[in-house]
Amino acid sequence: MTGRVLTIAALTVREATRRRLLAALAVITVAMVALSAWGFDRLERSHRITSGEANLAVPQALILFMFMFSFVVALSASAIASPSVSSEVESGVLMTVVTRPIRRAEIILGKWLGLAALLAGYAAAVCGLEIGVVDAVTGYLPPGPVVTAVYVFGEGLLLLTLALLLSTRMSTLASGVVGIAAFGAAWLGGVVGSLGTALNIGALSTIGQVSRVVLPTDGLWHGAIYYLEPAAILHSRLTGTGDPFFALSSPTWGYLLWVVVWLAAVLGACVFSFQRREL
Amino acid sequence: MSQTSSAEAGAPASTGPAPAPVPPSPAVVTMGLHKRYGRAVAVRSLSVSVGRGEVFGFLGPNGAGKTTVVKMLLGLIRPTGGEGLVLGAPLGDRETRRRVGYLPELFRFQPWLTAREVLQLHCRLLEMPRARWSPSITDALQTVGLAARADDKVAGFSKGMQQRLGLGAALLGEPELVVLDEPTSALDPVGRHDVRQITRQLRSRGATVFLNTHLLEEAEQVCDRVAVIDGGSAVATGTLTELLGRHVRVRLKVSGLAGDWWLPFSGSGTWRAEGEWTTAEGVEPGRIPDLVACIVGRGGRVEAVVPEHQSLEDRFLELLGDR
Repeated sequence: MTGRVLTIAALTVREATRRRLLAALAVITVAMVALSAWGFDRLERSHRITSGEANLAVPQALILFMFMFSFVVALSASAIASPSVSSEVESGVLMTVVTRPIRRAEIILGKWLGLAALLAGYAAAVCGLEIGVVDAVTGYLPPGPVVTAVYVFGEGLLLLTLALLLSTRMSTLASGVVGIAAFGAAWLGGVVGSLGTALNIGALSTIGQVSRVVLPTDGLWHGAIYYLEPAAILHSRLTGTGDPFFALSSPTWGYLLWVVVWLAAVLGACVFSFQRREL
Repeated sequence: MSQTSSAEAGAPASTGPAPAPVPPSPAVVTMGLHKRYGRAVAVRSLSVSVGRGEVFGFLGPNGAGKTTVVKMLLGLIRPTGGEGLVLGAPLGDRETRRRVGYLPELFRFQPWLTAREVLQLHCRLLEMPRARWSPSITDALQTVGLAARADDKVAGFSKGMQQRLGLGAALLGEPELVVLDEPTSALDPVGRHDVRQITRQLRSRGATVFLNTHLLEEAEQVCDRVAVIDGGSAVATGTLTELLGRHVRVRLKVSGLAGDWWLPFSGSGTWRAEGEWTTAEGVEPGRIPDLVACIVGRGGRVEAVVPEHQSLEDRFLELLGDR
């Protein structure tokens, strides 16, 4: 079983390489990181703000940039997973594969593994580059750069798995759009929840809590934020709990366990859906 | 040693002749296979049997349900009724797929791979020993005429070349059953000839070929038996002789007898005179020698006997027209 899963995983990675997807992402990422390096350099050299203000502004700017990169990672996850089953069913490429002695579950797991490996590489590269560049330009190194990258990857992995599930039943375009819309809705739900907590409005808080359970991307994004924030900001609580770019604590182990259960359940649904699909 | 082992296993000692080998199950057998999509019936209680080593033609007009049947045989879709066996195993059995080659009607391959890489992928999926990959791939590429394009990307292939590649993939691993769904739909006359040759080669090495086609000429040239399917059910099944044989038309050129020499035979079939020729419709093929002997016995000279089989196309249209 492992061999067949790895065959499909390797094929998935090779496709991304051959189709120059990785090269395109690399070019875009380097351009964005270079732009952020220029911005951080301007911020650092600015005479209009004090060094104390700069110490607060740099982490906040880094969080904003990382939000953009987490969005790119999530968008990429959806973009690579959406066509992985649907387009191959539509084109007929899968017909000669599924009629070989391979289980459909192995095809799904292989694709998921290959896509996850691509995403892990991309998340590590993006986070490493951006955090490294900020460190080099401003001297600010967040407290948990590796954990941040893991959370950004986790966020993308959730969306990748969801897009893969949708791809077993919907067209490429539809599964991509629904995946991104779900990601946006979850983020918005998190913002509404934060506002509800800040303003003490129970209904809004509930929306945030529910959205973080239904699609835990925003919960993981807050984990990434937490490990980007310097201790000074956390201790002084200079920003309020209504701020969508602030996290007072990292996700609990219970929440992380739920994320694992969510992933397993959606991946299981993906396998089940593809097994039941008539080709 | 083997006797000791048998005794230890509690098996009775055999003193008689060795049991006759169990004949292999049919390559394909379906019993009341049924497929329904909502209220539409795609396949209606289809029962067919394809023997080992046969080239079996599955004929029918577009939309007759041919591809649906093929997909059920390969486990791509589930029947809503009935059952079937492929190489003695239930439909869709994973291990059996190792012994089945399939060229789908909708043939597409990873455009970013080369032809050789596509076949390598299939060797890997078939779990063939790596030492066999290279000779098998070379052989398949040569058989389908793609040896010169082995290292070109599939993206640059024409539809015909992709169909050839699909055929090459279906031949990997020396399958016992090869299912070809409209295998010449994108091929030129040379390609169609090649497919016929490959089909004959498969038969000569004992493989079964399930040929799904609406091209009657193709079936007529290579098939041992055919089934005609329409509206999801089999209209007729049998050898070509069985399907066409009872409808032989004979043209005779006879001299030395009166113009109405054929009148004594008019009870068997339909006779009519056309100049020097006399045509008899519906004469059984086995009776033609008796007929000739009888004419000679009456003092006639038989200058020509031309049996004319009904074409498969005529018979096909007749079968569909009967419905």
